[in-house]
Amino acid sequence: MDRPSRTRRSTWWWLFAAVIALTGIALAVMWRPALAPQTATQAFDTTRIERGANLARLGMCASCHTPDLALPFAGGKPMNTPFGVVHSTNITPDIKTGIGAWSEAAFTRAMREGVARDGHLLYPAFPYNHYVRMTPSDVADLYAYFMTRPAIDAPARANRMTFPFGFRPLVGFWNVLYLDDAPWQPDPAQSAEWNRGAYLADAVAHCAACHTPRTLLGGPDLKRQLGGGDAEDWYAPALNQDSPSPLPWTREQLHDYLRSGIAENHAMAAGPMQAVVTHLAQADDRDVAALAAWTHSHLAKAPARATPAQQAGPLPAPAANDPDLQRMTLGYTTYANACARCHDAGRDASSGTALPLQKAVALYDPDPRDLIHITLDGIAPPAGEPSRFMPGFKTILTDEQTGALAAYLRKYGAGQPAWPELDQAVRTAREP
Amino acid sequence: MTTYRLQVNGKVHAVDNDPDTPLLYVLRNDLALNGAKFGCGLGQCGSCTVLLDGQPAMSCLVPLSVVGTRPVRTVEGLGDARAPGVLQQAFIDEQAAQCGYCIAGMLMQATALLERTPAPTDAQIRAHMSPNLCRCGTHMRILRAVRRAADRLAAGGER
Repeated sequence: MDRPSRTRRSTWWWLFAAVIALTGIALAVMWRPALAPQTATQAFDTTRIERGANLARLGMCASCHTPDLALPFAGGKPMNTPFGVVHSTNITPDIKTGIGAWSEAAFTRAMREGVARDGHLLYPAFPYNHYVRMTPSDVADLYAYFMTRPAIDAPARANRMTFPFGFRPLVGFWNVLYLDDAPWQPDPAQSAEWNRGAYLADAVAHCAACHTPRTLLGGPDLKRQLGGGDAEDWYAPALNQDSPSPLPWTREQLHDYLRSGIAENHAMAAGPMQAVVTHLAQADDRDVAALAAWTHSHLAKAPARATPAQQAGPLPAPAANDPDLQRMTLGYTTYANACARCHDAGRDASSGTALPLQKAVALYDPDPRDLIHITLDGIAPPAGEPSRFMPGFKTILTDEQTGALAAYLRKYGAGQPAWPELDQAVRTAREP
Repeated sequence: MTTYRLQVNGKVHAVDNDPDTPLLYVLRNDLALNGAKFGCGLGQCGSCTVLLDGQPAMSCLVPLSVVGTRPVRTVEGLGDARAPGVLQQAFIDEQAAQCGYCIAGMLMQATALLERTPAPTDAQIRAHMSPNLCRCGTHMRILRAVRRAADRLAAGGER
């Protein structure tokens, strides 16, 4: 008689215990306490501030946190992610809207765990999964730097997340999957310079945030480290054996490129990489050289191959028997009439160091986004920064001409198989 | 030499020229429309700005071969000294020109803005006009002139 009811009662007990346990786990994953606000102002050692300034440049903090040069580190720059639009935050020492009330412990927790002082979880658009491996001394130097910047009153802008990602505690589960807090380890087989570069690239400059592909959940795909990723709808080229570069990189070229955005007759920074080199230009040159040494060791794994980049001279007209002759001819005439006067070296005194297009890595990328962005929007240095300039052709070329140009350059400039979805990529790039 | 049929300010012109000839040269040399100016020849200064299919384009960068049937509009299409367009009148009212070299490009850049955004904010005017440079430094007057024209159009003025 009472047997079934006892079974029922114990089932209920089990369920209850499971709910308690799951709630406990969920809380442990999703909840973090607030840390007490600090009230006293502190003085910082000048050397710490200077070291922090260098680290802030190497980490390109300003490229997200400074949307307007007049308001350094005041935040508010939108970043499109697959999960919604996230805005960077105010990291000036303003008490109400910035991090003025943050103790060093609160700053360290944000850098290592992605948790704000009041306990809310930060979105991983802030790359704390890299900063977690920064040395405590470097974190302290950065704290000294930011706490001595001018305080700016700039309230946070509301994010526009897609459901359910507006519920920040969910980030806790991302952290379980992707936040690896094992300390950074040097490789004893490598030089001190290489190890410095490896540390900076991983824990500070967060190169992999763009150059490593992401999983569906927005975490790094660790099986394809540095295998090429995305940044603001640009393709960030692979820096490993899959590098699309048609010519092998030398260490000196990489150093020039990271320092100035230009590797003579080899490559030119465009898109989001322009902000990176702008900041590296102001960092300690020894650190940039170390980054170049580390990057070069990975790029050197790419096998040597024969590409049209080894040849000089203007690009050829399409073959008379080309199966897509009409489109290729449109692409060729567009190239010859609009591009060649700068890109065919020597045709115009003003062409400067415009790359012969068979050397342009964008032609060899696995997708056409970078070539289309450069064609339509050109290359303009960040506001107030000197650099090379290329005008954009957005209002000059039609979609048909842009697509034909890209198809022609891919085939007759790079000798590579056609990009699928090229026309769709042109339309996407045109969207405001 | 190829013959192209160009639609400029509503009229069709037959033009014999090389396919890589910049539209600017054709406008000035073949059609005697001398409003658009040659500044840098590199798409950096905006003094050659015209409208190509309603969009501002630096005509020094536009090879003749890509124009096709898209209509071209130049400053001559906005009005003349006897009957200036709203934007031209606003530039006169604000005395926005000093040497005047950039002004035709400025007017066309501003035309493109007001046709798509009839009630622009000051920030939108600033951002939209940013590709066009003025070496005399009358940028502030130019911005005021665009503001004045936008306000006049909003008050029901004729374009």
